[in-house]
Amino acid sequence: MNPSSIPAQEIPDSLPFDLMRVPGFGRLFRWRYARPLLQAPLLVISVVMILHGLFGPTLAPKNLATTLSWLHFRGLLVLVLLCAGNFFCLACPFMLVRQFARRIFKPRFTWPRALRNKWLSVALFVFILFTYELFDLWSSPWWTAWLIVAYFLSVLVVDGFFKHASFCKFVCPIGQFNFVASTLSPFEVKVREQDVCTRCHTKDCIRGRRDPVSDLVTIHGCELALFQPSKVGNMDCTFCLDCVHACPHDNIGILSRLPASELMTDPLRSGIGYFSRRKDLAALVIVFTFGALLNAFGMVSPVYAVERWLGQMLHLSHEAPVLGLIFTCFLIVEPVLLLGLAAWLTRAWAGSERGLLPLAVRYTYGLVPLGFGMWLAHYCFHFLTGLYTLIPVTQSAIASLGRPLLGEPRWTLTGLPANVVQVVEIGFLVLGFAGSLAVTYGLAENDSPDRPVRAFLPWAVVCLILWLGSMWLLFQPMEMRVMLMSG
Amino acid sequence: MGTLFAANCSRRPEPAALVEIRHEISPEPARVGPVSISLKLADAAGKPINGARISIEADMSHAGMSPVFAETKETDPGHYQANLELRMAGDWVIFLHVTLPGGEKLERWIDVRGVRPN
Repeated sequence: MNPSSIPAQEIPDSLPFDLMRVPGFGRLFRWRYARPLLQAPLLVISVVMILHGLFGPTLAPKNLATTLSWLHFRGLLVLVLLCAGNFFCLACPFMLVRQFARRIFKPRFTWPRALRNKWLSVALFVFILFTYELFDLWSSPWWTAWLIVAYFLSVLVVDGFFKHASFCKFVCPIGQFNFVASTLSPFEVKVREQDVCTRCHTKDCIRGRRDPVSDLVTIHGCELALFQPSKVGNMDCTFCLDCVHACPHDNIGILSRLPASELMTDPLRSGIGYFSRRKDLAALVIVFTFGALLNAFGMVSPVYAVERWLGQMLHLSHEAPVLGLIFTCFLIVEPVLLLGLAAWLTRAWAGSERGLLPLAVRYTYGLVPLGFGMWLAHYCFHFLTGLYTLIPVTQSAIASLGRPLLGEPRWTLTGLPANVVQVVEIGFLVLGFAGSLAVTYGLAENDSPDRPVRAFLPWAVVCLILWLGSMWLLFQPMEMRVMLMSG
Repeated sequence: MGTLFAANCSRRPEPAALVEIRHEISPEPARVGPVSISLKLADAAGKPINGARISIEADMSHAGMSPVFAETKETDPGHYQANLELRMAGDWVIFLHVTLPGGEKLERWIDVRGVRPN
């Protein structure tokens, strides 16, 4: 056949890589019980952590609850988000318990309309960060165990009363962290061909499938109200794969994409709306980004000098109000000043017709890479420098049962040298900075096509300030201790 | 100088509970780097206990740091001394694994809060 006689067909430059097409993976993820299979080991580990936290050694480095929570879980979480996607929500053990509970208790209520936003979860995110510092959760197996127990109970209460995935979408602080971070993930649960969805009449991906006789739901549709054909990006997606199982056309995959690309555009997103109109989402991004610096600030030496200085100046003898002031500075005063000034300059220089608040909301999403870079640097520091500590702690936990099946604990096992890890940390921060610059420039190009550089510059300066702050934090001596205001 | 656990039980006390351990850490307050720990062991009557073996294990209060180990040397009757390298600022817990001359073992710990950065 003469090639010139073949009708022209639009072929994309490169087809996205589909994780579901990988032999083994695809079969596993299409299996209906893939999620429980992944959740079950994490549930067992959670139970072990709770038991060891409550009844094991009281010293954090000897306890599985603290070691696994604050070193390994957090480190693996951010690395999986960076390298793949929101697979930790997929394997969430809390949801496995919820599924069992829902076989007994059927939720009757719909989540209140007034709370169908991120404000509650933003408040809970701040609350977790605050209690982490105030009660030094990192040093207390007992409190860490109770935090896990509280999480299980919260899931059972919320999803016991309210239908769908109310806890995941509107409450869970870890989930919100994952949703924001997964906007930078290289994979997304997405339809393969839009045409197939256009021809589809059943819309099982959102409605679910019902048994024709009993009319009972046999396969859930998306419980987070994300309609696949108009879903954009990873925000609010728990990778639960309900849509994959429900789709009768096998038209949903886990597709590769350019990380952060979803932050540069502002289409109408199913289950979310427009990013630029979601002040609650922007607030979540602010807590995610500025909270990353705050959380790291809490583990370096200068924080104690600041706390002492504030305590003496304001005659405060308790840590809570002092910590409250530091949180207010980091999470309210600093963002309002930086973002407000940048929005004002964008209006003045680039002639943007948007109001100050809508401008600030729109560009706030550009800070996600910076924030994630800081979380990566922080969590990977603990994870990599304490990588092997899981071995002696596990040996010790098993030996405490009376049989040292794994031998005597080798307490000298720790992890990678701190100077090696510091290079990795710098890499994450540079990557985050570059990502934020790219996203904010993309936003500036969309927002002010005539004067993108003028619109971009104020935000580039904000990114630079935050990046320099992150780098400064990285080189501060680490110091983790229980704060005594009198000391 | 701090004191660890004097005997105070109403039941007949175990011999180990009658051991008094006094400790001194220098520099005071402790800083990142080498620190010296001096221990003084005495029985209920205040008589120094000679010939004990004391292994020291220093842990940070948070997970992820390798413990520091050291063995003490008896410098004077009932006086023991060891050097440690504290590698990070923050809260440390120093465990004393004591083997008394009669072979009896006991464990004690010392909270070393707020080790200062250099």
